[in-house]
Amino acid sequence: MKLEGTQTISAPREGVYRLLSDPAVIARLLPGCEKLEPAGPDTYEVKMKLGLAALSGSYQGTVKLSEQRPPEHLRLTVTSRGPWGFADGDGGFTLSEQGGQTTVHYAGELKVGGMVASIGSRLLDGAARMVIAQFFKNLEREAAAE
Amino acid sequence: MKRKEDPRLIQGLGHYVDDLSLPGQLYAAILRSPHAHARLRKIDRSAAERAAGVVAVITGEDIRGVLGTIPVAAALPELKVPPHYPLAIDNICYVGEPVAVVVADDRYRARDAVDLIEVDYEPLPAVTDPEKALEKSSPRVHEQFKDNQACLWKIEAGFPDRAFKKADRIVRQRFLNQRLIPVAMEPRGVLASYDPGPELLTVWSSTQIPHLLRTQIAAMLNVPEMRVRVIAPEVGGGFGSKLNVYGEEALVAHLAMKLGRPVKWMETRRENFLATIHGRDQIDDVEVAVKQDGRILALKCRLTADLGAYHQLLTPAIPTLTGLLMLGCYKIPAVKIEYVGVFTNKMATDAYRGAGRPEATYLIERMVDLVALELGKDPAEIRRQNFPKPKDFPYSTPTGVIYDSGNYEATLKKALELAGYKKLREEQKKLWKQGRYLGIGLSTYVEICAMGPSSAMPAGGWESGTVRIEPTGKVTVLTGASPHGQGQETSFAQVVADELGISPDSVIVIHGDTQAVPYGIGTFGSRATAVGGTAMFLAVQKLKDKLKRLAGHLLGVDPKRIEMGEGKLVVKGKPKKSKSFLEVVQAAYVAKTLPPNFEPGLEATTFFEPSNFTFPFGAHVCVVEVDAETGDVHILRYVAVDDCGNVINPLLVDGQVHGGIVQALGQALFEEAVYDENGQLLTGELMDYAIPRAWDVPRIETARTVTPSPVNPMGVKGVGEAGTIAATPAIVNAVVDALRPLGVRDIQMPLKRERLWALLEARGS
Repeated sequence: MKLEGTQTISAPREGVYRLLSDPAVIARLLPGCEKLEPAGPDTYEVKMKLGLAALSGSYQGTVKLSEQRPPEHLRLTVTSRGPWGFADGDGGFTLSEQGGQTTVHYAGELKVGGMVASIGSRLLDGAARMVIAQFFKNLEREAAAE
Repeated sequence: MKRKEDPRLIQGLGHYVDDLSLPGQLYAAILRSPHAHARLRKIDRSAAERAAGVVAVITGEDIRGVLGTIPVAAALPELKVPPHYPLAIDNICYVGEPVAVVVADDRYRARDAVDLIEVDYEPLPAVTDPEKALEKSSPRVHEQFKDNQACLWKIEAGFPDRAFKKADRIVRQRFLNQRLIPVAMEPRGVLASYDPGPELLTVWSSTQIPHLLRTQIAAMLNVPEMRVRVIAPEVGGGFGSKLNVYGEEALVAHLAMKLGRPVKWMETRRENFLATIHGRDQIDDVEVAVKQDGRILALKCRLTADLGAYHQLLTPAIPTLTGLLMLGCYKIPAVKIEYVGVFTNKMATDAYRGAGRPEATYLIERMVDLVALELGKDPAEIRRQNFPKPKDFPYSTPTGVIYDSGNYEATLKKALELAGYKKLREEQKKLWKQGRYLGIGLSTYVEICAMGPSSAMPAGGWESGTVRIEPTGKVTVLTGASPHGQGQETSFAQVVADELGISPDSVIVIHGDTQAVPYGIGTFGSRATAVGGTAMFLAVQKLKDKLKRLAGHLLGVDPKRIEMGEGKLVVKGKPKKSKSFLEVVQAAYVAKTLPPNFEPGLEATTFFEPSNFTFPFGAHVCVVEVDAETGDVHILRYVAVDDCGNVINPLLVDGQVHGGIVQALGQALFEEAVYDENGQLLTGELMDYAIPRAWDVPRIETARTVTPSPVNPMGVKGVGEAGTIAATPAIVNAVVDALRPLGVRDIQMPLKRERLWALLEARGS
C-alpha cells in the first residue's frame, strides 16, 4: 500500500528535522511505541502496541534511519512482527520551509502480511491514516514544546 | 421419501470430528507463514515449549526423513512435482504454509503458544499473477525448476486451422474464471489415536475419501496399512475440498503415535481460507470459427491455470476436465486446446464442486451467446442449431470423450416453455424502451460425471458395495462411496428395499469406516449413485439369486419359477405358494435345509467398474433485472430443467440442483478470492469473501426430462454438480443480455453491484 501526503508543522525546518532524527523523540512520535533502544548504527529495536480491531497486540521490530541530509531529507524504515503477522513501513520525509513553517512531504510504502493482510486489509487504509495523523499531531506538539 | 439422515442432523445428534473426544486428548495448533515466499532461516521454539500446558512443539526439521510428502495422484506428461512436506522445510511458498505445530493439553493454550514461536524468515520476491509467472523475469516459486510452468497439455482434432480459414466470422473473448474458496460449513478436522496393544492407529478425519486417505497416511507415516483405520464421521460439507490428502492429516496421526496420546486439530475458518484448497482460477482465451448461418466450425482455447504453489491430490488434473468438456453440448467438429499449468505463490487449487467442468461450461455458454450477438440471432436458436441430435448418441467428441446418451433439444424446449421464453423476449423489448434492464440468460449444459472408468482416472474409478441380509431379515449395506450429506443413506436404502421387497426402514447404510467397509474410492465427481449405487445394486442381485435358489429348494420348485414379492418369495403364477422373506433368510443362516453346494449366510460384495463416464445435461433459464440506479441484480425467475437419467429420489435430486445453483450464483455474483501482488490473501474471512445468503437465493423452479444412461443397469447419471456447472453462465448471460442496449458484450465475474454500477455510469444509462 502506497502512502503519500503533506503536513505542515508550525516550526522552522532545522527544529523539525532534529526531532525527526532523534530516536528518543521518534519513540514518542510513533503511536503505541513502548520501547526504542539502539541496536547498531542508526538502527533501533522497537516494541509497539498496535490496535487494529481483532489484530491488536504487541509488535516487535526495528526502526532504521537512513538517507540523512539535514535539514531536508531522511528516510525511516520500520519493520514489525507480531502475533497476527507483520507490518513493514518504508518512507522518505522531505522538509521545506516557508515563512517559518515547515512542510513535510512523505512518500512510502506499507507492506503487511499474515492475518494483518488477510483479515485486516479492509481496515488498513483507515488505520494507517490514523497512525500517520497521530504521528504528525505528536510532532506538532513536540515542535511547539521546543 | 424424506431423508433418513435428517432427523439426527437437525436434532444435533450427528457426530462431527470436533464432537469426538478421547481420554487424555491433546490439541494441536499450527503456526503458518505470513510470507508468500521466504527462506526459513531459524526457528526459536524455546518460549513456546516452556509455555503452560505445552507438551510438544515440532517444526519441519523434526519431520525431515520421518514423514513422506503430500501425495499427487494427477498424472500429466512432464508434470513438475515439487516436494510438498506437511511442515515447511527450508522454504515457504505460500501464505498459510504450516511452519510449526504446538501440542498442548488445551486448545487455547496450544493456540497461545503458537505466538511464542519466533521465526526468522528471509523474504523472497513472490509472484501471484499466472501470466507474469510465465515471463522469464519472474521470480521462481520453486528454485529447482527452470521456470514456473508446471505442465503443458494439448488437444488438437478435426483440423481447426483449416476450419478457421473457412469461417465467415471469428468471435474471440477472454474469460477469467476467478479463484474461489469452497467454504464448507465444517472446516477440516482430524483426531488421531494410537493403541500400542493392537498397534492400531485410528484417524477420524472430515474427509470424502477415507480409504484413499488410509493408504496415503500409511505411506506417509510408513505404517503397515492394515494397522491404520480411518473413519469419516459426519462430514459438514466437502464440495471437493475434502477430496484430498492434507499435511495436517499426517501430522496429527504422527503426533498421536509419537506422544502416545490422542491429538485433535480443528481448522479455524481463517486457516480454512488460507490452507484448504481453492477452486477454479483459470484464464481462458477463446476463439470460435462460425458460419454466417450460425454453425460453429471450430474452437480454440489457450487455458492458463493458476495452480498455486504446490500440487494437492488432483491439482493439475482439474483443468484437463475443462479441456475434455470444452465443446459443451455442441457438435463442433474441430478443436485446439493448450492448457498451461502455472505455479504461483498461492494456496493450491483443486476440485471444487464441478471441478473443471464449470469453467468449460462457462466459456462455451458465454461464447455461444457472443456468437448469437455477433450474428444477430436468438441465443436459443444458435444452440438448437449446433446440438447433436438424439440419433447421434453415443456421441464421440473431438476432445476424445463419448457422451453416453442425450436429448438436448427436449430439455431446452421444456425450459423455454416453462419460462415462457417468447413472452419474456417481448416483455424485454418493452422494458428496454422504458430504460429498464431485463435480461434472459440461457445455459444448455452437458457435464462429465460418475467418475470412472479406472482407465480415465488417476486412482481407480470403480466402487465397492456390500449387501448383508442379517438373520432377522434386516439389511446392512456397506458402501465404499463415502456420502457426506448427499443422502445416499436414504436412496441406497430405497434401492435395496425395492429389490428385496422390504421396507427402507429395514435397511441401514454404513460408510466412512475403513474397518467396517470394503475398500472404496469415495464420493466426488457425482459418482456415488452411478458407481457406488450400481456396485450395491449388483451385490443385491447376487443375493436375490441366492434367495430364489433357496426358496425354490424349500418350496420344491425350480428357482427360475421364483420371483420377489412384497416381503416374500413367490412361485410365478401361483401367488399362494410362497415363503416369507424372513423364512428364507433364516433358512440361509440356520443352514439345515440348504440346497447342495449352497454357501450359508447372505452377504455379497461387488466391485463395479463402469465402462464410461455419464453425461447429464439440461437447460437453465435465468431472468434478471439489473437496477439502473444501484447495479443490483434481481433474479426474477430461475428455471432448471435437468436430465440426470433415471431418478431414485426426486427430493434428493432437487436438493442437489438447488444447492448447486446457489453455489454457482455465488461465483456469478459475489465470490472472489483475492491475493495482492505480494501473495497476501486479502479475502481472509467471511467479512471479505461474500457467499450467498438466504435472501440472495431466488425461488428455483425445477423440472426434468429422463434419458437413461446405458452405462449402468439403473440408468442413472449423477446430479451433485450439475447446478453449479449450469447456473453460472445462465446468470451471467442474463445480466449481459440485460445490458445489451448499452453495448455491453462481456462482464468479468463476479458481477458485483459496484462493478455493474460503474458500468451503468460509464455507459450513461
